Amino acid sequence: MHEFDLHDLSDDADYADSMQQGSASMTKSGNSNRNSSSEQVGAEIVYLKDNVAIHPTQHAWERIRGRLKLIKQGGSLLMTWIPYEGQSSSARLSEKDKSLYTIRAVPFSDIRSIRRHTPTLGWQYAIVVLSSGLAFPPLYFYNGGLKEFLATIKQHVFLVRLTRLLEGFPFSLVKGTYRSAEDANIFLVNDLQDPLQRTLSSLELPRAVSVANRPTSSIAPSESSFSRTDGEALDKNSAVIQQNGRQRQKHNDPRHLSIQVLEKFSLVTRFARETKSQFLREAHGDGFISNAMKKHDKKPNNYSSVVESNDVHKPLEDVHVPANSSEESSCEIHNKNEEAAMRDENLEYDYDKLSLVWGKPRQPPLGSKEWSTFLDSEGRVIDSQALRKRIFYGGVEKGLRKEVWRFLLGYHSYDSTCAEREYLASIRKSEYETIKNQWKSITKEQAKRFTKFRERKALIEKDVVRTDRSIPFYDGDDNSNVKCLRDILLTYSFYNFDLGYCQGMSDLLSPILYVMGDEPQSFWCFVALMERLGPNFNRDQNGVHSQLFALSKLVELLDNPLHNYFQQKDCLNYFFCFRWVLIQFKRQAVLLLKILSASSQHIMRLEFDFEKTMRLWEVLWTHYLSEHLHLYVCVAILRRHRSKIIGEEMDFDTLLKFINELSGHINLDATLRDAEALCICAGENGEACIPPGTPPSLPFEITSMYNQQDDDDIL
Amino acid sequence: MASRRRMLLKVIILGDSGVGKTSLMNQYVNRKFSNQYKATIGADFLTKEVQFEDRLYTLQIWDTAGQERFQSLGVAFYRGADCCVLVYDVNVMKSFENLNNWREEFLIQASPSDPENFPFVVLGNKIDVDGGNSRVVSEKKAKAWCASKGIPYFETSAKEGFNVDAAFQCIAKNALKNEPEEEIYLPDTIDVAGGNQPRSTGCEC
Repeated sequence: MHEFDLHDLSDDADYADSMQQGSASMTKSGNSNRNSSSEQVGAEIVYLKDNVAIHPTQHAWERIRGRLKLIKQGGSLLMTWIPYEGQSSSARLSEKDKSLYTIRAVPFSDIRSIRRHTPTLGWQYAIVVLSSGLAFPPLYFYNGGLKEFLATIKQHVFLVRLTRLLEGFPFSLVKGTYRSAEDANIFLVNDLQDPLQRTLSSLELPRAVSVANRPTSSIAPSESSFSRTDGEALDKNSAVIQQNGRQRQKHNDPRHLSIQVLEKFSLVTRFARETKSQFLREAHGDGFISNAMKKHDKKPNNYSSVVESNDVHKPLEDVHVPANSSEESSCEIHNKNEEAAMRDENLEYDYDKLSLVWGKPRQPPLGSKEWSTFLDSEGRVIDSQALRKRIFYGGVEKGLRKEVWRFLLGYHSYDSTCAEREYLASIRKSEYETIKNQWKSITKEQAKRFTKFRERKALIEKDVVRTDRSIPFYDGDDNSNVKCLRDILLTYSFYNFDLGYCQGMSDLLSPILYVMGDEPQSFWCFVALMERLGPNFNRDQNGVHSQLFALSKLVELLDNPLHNYFQQKDCLNYFFCFRWVLIQFKRQAVLLLKILSASSQHIMRLEFDFEKTMRLWEVLWTHYLSEHLHLYVCVAILRRHRSKIIGEEMDFDTLLKFINELSGHINLDATLRDAEALCICAGENGEACIPPGTPPSLPFEITSMYNQQDDDDIL
Repeated sequence: MASRRRMLLKVIILGDSGVGKTSLMNQYVNRKFSNQYKATIGADFLTKEVQFEDRLYTLQIWDTAGQERFQSLGVAFYRGADCCVLVYDVNVMKSFENLNNWREEFLIQASPSDPENFPFVVLGNKIDVDGGNSRVVSEKKAKAWCASKGIPYFETSAKEGFNVDAAFQCIAKNALKNEPEEEIYLPDTIDVAGGNQPRSTGCEC
């Protein structure tokens, strides 16, 4: 077959041409219109690429190579793809067959979208979908050039990348839906009237939830099929939240609002998914899409069928049998020793025997020597992705945290220089002092008339003396670090007066102060963290609710037996994971009795837990595989204990108790490996489970949706 | 199953942040007090066996977060409660004034079948602080409010263990009085995600 390919190519005049032009055979000349019978005089070829092929079947000998061109004529842009003549020696492919696939001068006004696929293995390919709903078969770019293809189109017609368009939302979900494991991207062609955009722009968003009393009315009414499914989604979500059978009519009820938020999430989610399904159905429906496409799609093409199929609902170990599938390449398989070690851990913690046995081995934490290799001479982080990946797999050494956390949390930008950071620090320091003075300067007389301030201060003062006091750093009477916690939290409640102070914040701040030492820097790092986690503390609790909702969906996807069990036990609200989610797994099992009989050994244990929390946090903060890795961590822990949970028939109460007392017994490295593997395997289906804007995704800013400024880098 | 269930008495402790809910629970169950409790996040519970008239009961005492902002979680935790304990700090007026809010919020969220007669018990905690000198809510005032609602009242010190046992004896008795009607735990009536039937539209998110 390979011989055939070579032979075939050497015979091919066009191939020879392209070789002479060099491998980057993009040309703007108009001299090669040998095969383009459909081209007309006066046309300018703005893009030409040889060896763009379609794969009518999965058989390599039936692939058809051809030349792809973009032609500018008058005001319009046309696309052609013409198969090479006399290319195939296969009797199965007649010239007639080949002409069937020929694309003759299709104007871009007839094209709705282009979907780009850049799989890690194999060729890049694109699927062009027409306004009529028909799609051309995938065009495989044997010599590359897909990016230039899209770039050229963008020079002539309005092209919007769907992922980018939706990035303005906190809708990592919507984004995730379109970004498959192979980084497929959909580009909409000159179609601002697209129903998806209309719908998204008309959707009420979490911040505006108070106006959201009639969720469906804000959706474009013309989308009848959409509206129909809304009902289902609504019913279902209402059921999830109101599963206790309580019906409350108060519109200002916070729970009511959070239900509405979830309803809206589900609408966006569903619509995004249906749009995608539609794309794919269309691609299927016209009969062009062959097995070749399936071959390159890890997942079945139709999303609905993915979820309906039993395979996905099987526990992961059934789906992914290591070593018998080439798809496993992304999931490193442990060697035998590691597996044995894992088994030992499992015995120790009485884990499921079915524990996942892949996910990359953890590395030692990042040390200062290695850290310096990530920096250029002026102190910029050269490759932030590589850095985040490194930290994802190993965390950061104790002494280095102070420096690295500032980047991870977003206080410093990766491309800032040392000098810039130094300058910023001095600015930030005085800014902090200014805000701090706002409450420092409140006199007793003023405070008497300032209930909100008094109440917040009292609440904060009550909590800081109850935060991590068993750690020597916060130990003892009149501890200055405890006072520092108070000052930062009170200052934050003035910096973000709308959010104020909420229990749990002191737990998030305490490790930051412990690491930073410095008060103003801790404050700004905390501010950066709260940019992402702030919604956890919203009055209507929508941040936590959407995470618990996503968690229930992820368990349904990744561990269906466990999901069924929770459903049967009426536990689908996942409130037993509330603490995990709210304070990111802090509060490692501090069994009350142990505290009461605190021994030096126990103190060491607590410090160890504190250390583990920090390690986990820095891994989560890399957002390397997913912004929502913490949800996969939840799934991983639940899975590890699945047999115990089901075996002992735990009900909601028992489950809550079990989980509250579990955290200190969590094997961090093994859990992270499981979470990594779950995240990789869930892929876009997993991302689709997570409602848009779910913390720690950055919150939505409405202006960014209309901001086309950054369109230049869409490709 | 129903008879086994009836042996479990579920008690919910509510009240403002820092009034001593966790401490009261631990003093009663473990006879211990610590200055190092953490602010309760979410909810947790402890259980204790109690005996009444030759019968053993399991008292399940739920400790909840005191910040009002977490009230929306109550719906999950309050369900099936047999008695609600309202705690305030005798040294903090606001915590006393909030008692009625807590009571009403509980009734809304737990939606007991007979809200008029649902048993509450009020505890005025921290009477030990500063030898009683920092006290701002008088016993008289608290008793008057409780009497108007027909609620038993106790003054306690979780730190010193004062009156804690007596209070919980009363709480348990009241919980017992509220013996739930049969089948308060209906196991499989709520079909959240459409059961095990395959769905036509795939993953619901």
